Amino acid sequence: MDNPQVYPEKVSAFSRMLRLEGLPVGPKETEDACRILLVMGLESRETVKTALRTVFAKSREEQGIFDRCFDSFFLSEEAMRQQAQAQMEREQEMAQGREQAQRDLNLNGQPMELTDGQREIYAAMSEEMRQKLRDFKDRFQESAARNPDLYNNFIHSVFTKTLLEQQMKMEDAGVNCAGLDPELGIMYRDISQFKDTEIPKAISIIENISQQINGELSAKKKNRGRSGALDFRKTIRKGLETGGSLYRLKYKKKRQKKKHLVILCDVSGSMVQFSEFALRFIQSLNHVAESSKVYLFSEAMVEADAFSLQNMDLFRNFVKESGAYGRGTDLGTALLDLVHDNPPALNDSTTLLILSDTKTIDQAGAVQALQEAKRLAGRVLWLNPLPESRWQYLKGASAFSQICTMISCSTLHDLASACRSLSNL
Amino acid sequence: MNLAELKSKMDQAHYIYDDTLATVLAVALELGRPLLIEGAAGVGKTEIAKVMASALDRELVRLQCYEGLDESKALYEWNYQKQLLSIQVNMASRDRESLTQSLFTDAYLLERPLLKSIRSEKPVVLLIDEIDKADEEFEAFLLELLSEMQVTIPEVGTIRAKTIPFVILTSNRARPLSEALRRRCAYLYIQYPDMEKELSILRAKLPHVDDRLCAQVALAVQKLRSNETILKKPSIAETLDWAAALDALGIRELTPDALRSTAGFILKNSEDLAALQEMEEEDHHCACGGNCGEHSHG
Repeated sequence: MDNPQVYPEKVSAFSRMLRLEGLPVGPKETEDACRILLVMGLESRETVKTALRTVFAKSREEQGIFDRCFDSFFLSEEAMRQQAQAQMEREQEMAQGREQAQRDLNLNGQPMELTDGQREIYAAMSEEMRQKLRDFKDRFQESAARNPDLYNNFIHSVFTKTLLEQQMKMEDAGVNCAGLDPELGIMYRDISQFKDTEIPKAISIIENISQQINGELSAKKKNRGRSGALDFRKTIRKGLETGGSLYRLKYKKKRQKKKHLVILCDVSGSMVQFSEFALRFIQSLNHVAESSKVYLFSEAMVEADAFSLQNMDLFRNFVKESGAYGRGTDLGTALLDLVHDNPPALNDSTTLLILSDTKTIDQAGAVQALQEAKRLAGRVLWLNPLPESRWQYLKGASAFSQICTMISCSTLHDLASACRSLSNL
Repeated sequence: MNLAELKSKMDQAHYIYDDTLATVLAVALELGRPLLIEGAAGVGKTEIAKVMASALDRELVRLQCYEGLDESKALYEWNYQKQLLSIQVNMASRDRESLTQSLFTDAYLLERPLLKSIRSEKPVVLLIDEIDKADEEFEAFLLELLSEMQVTIPEVGTIRAKTIPFVILTSNRARPLSEALRRRCAYLYIQYPDMEKELSILRAKLPHVDDRLCAQVALAVQKLRSNETILKKPSIAETLDWAAALDALGIRELTPDALRSTAGFILKNSEDLAALQEMEEEDHHCACGGNCGEHSHG
């Protein structure tokens, strides 16, 4: 790229790449980038990167995306050599994996009906897990002679399920987020997969985001204030400052309807961490509701007091002492308890917020109880920590999502978006 | 002004910078774009505007944003008292039309920072500080100024900039700024300085302070910032204040006692002071005597 004539062409291609990655890059930015390259030249790769980043990326999040795109578009010689080497090694590994998969993934001499992606996941599994699957296949080999179709279907379904679970685990572990900024990485990873060492960081991120959301809501609330009716008393009073001329008009404020939030929180086993993060988020928002009540449930339901929600240790102790920790989930009973609570917890002005992964015993009973709760409450909203792509495999998720609004909240980023939507209740 | 010239000017202003910062400033200057600087409180965002004013030899015009800031505080305001007096004095005048027109002239116009920056005969550096604290309406109002370098006053008409100011906007990310505003600016995100840069700042700003003490202060501040339990991370200004205070007290070595007695200069709330005490206790219980690299020795 020593010839300046090729700058616009290259920069334009780079702009298109950034646009595909989701950056709102327009012709003005492309023009600026060309201008700046003509002035600064291309002697230093770092200078070019910083200059283009200044022009194209307009937030910290966008800077992360920009850096990734820049490094893959403008490769240094060393990076090109390394990438070629890594690519060669990866292809060799994949070829070995495919050969191994070819040998293992067959039934009675016929290859199993699996997608290429599933075969690659099999190749990426540990040898121990692959051995388990092979052993499983061999254990039922005798039945293959008696009923080959049944054997084939059975083994195929077990393999597919295991591969799907493995794929989910890889997604949860943030395989695609590895290259991100540590802070942004935490934002886009499954909450239940956070390590203990990452929790303080996650908490500080929650505090920052809730501060941001509070700011936004505060501004919105302020803008909603004008109802259109002129406040004569205040206008005349203000007019005294300018010799009686009614220079600044004052308007009456809208009377805000009080909102009440009832949070039903699943604390069974794996849900504790998610529930805790979600509660922390919701509680730190000032403008979501006038008041809130929190109920925790697993097999039975118990109301949590404000003191126990103050911090992580108090919350965990409360959950353990209440006897709800480590039990199964019975959403139906919890909802019925809530519906029959005296004095009534649900009425027209309440929003029922359910934090649960939809896995419950007595699903039919839970569906009925949810319908009853929906009849009593003003609105029902469900925050589900499972990604939406998995709902189709869970009967509960599909059934409950037809009754109330269900939002997928597997990551802090999703949780923040859901909390923003709470303000529009 | 090219990158080398800018660096030389910043060197003359005794400002410690890295290549990234210098390049971003050069790009913003070259393109004539406003520069939006984001980062935590106390990383030196406002200082950049002051240094640029000094490096470019321009006046610094500052607009401090806050909730409720409006055009009358940021752009212009009519001097009502003077206008009312003028009306009363000229009550007998028959030419009402010219009286009305005379009320909306420069004589009755109170210039606020934004108007001042574009009507100045010499180009200035305009600092719009903590834009995230202003309301969304004010952000929208700024768009005309930032993209067209002009403002509209209903009674007067559109006023175009006589000279183009170098605009710097700062934000602590208390709320996200609108896309429209971001797109009109060049962007810079600043983090707290690393150990090396912080030490250079201490040496440049406090040349009389013992070098060993500066190194100990810089190291201690780095450790405090990296500690998750510290809620309000020490800013660069606080680091400088702390080092100056230690020097003024005649302390030449940052011992645990010295740290305890002067901690108020860097940690400004009781929770953080309690966290510091906990860090000290952890170090005290450690049998390594502060020499191991396993954990932090505050």
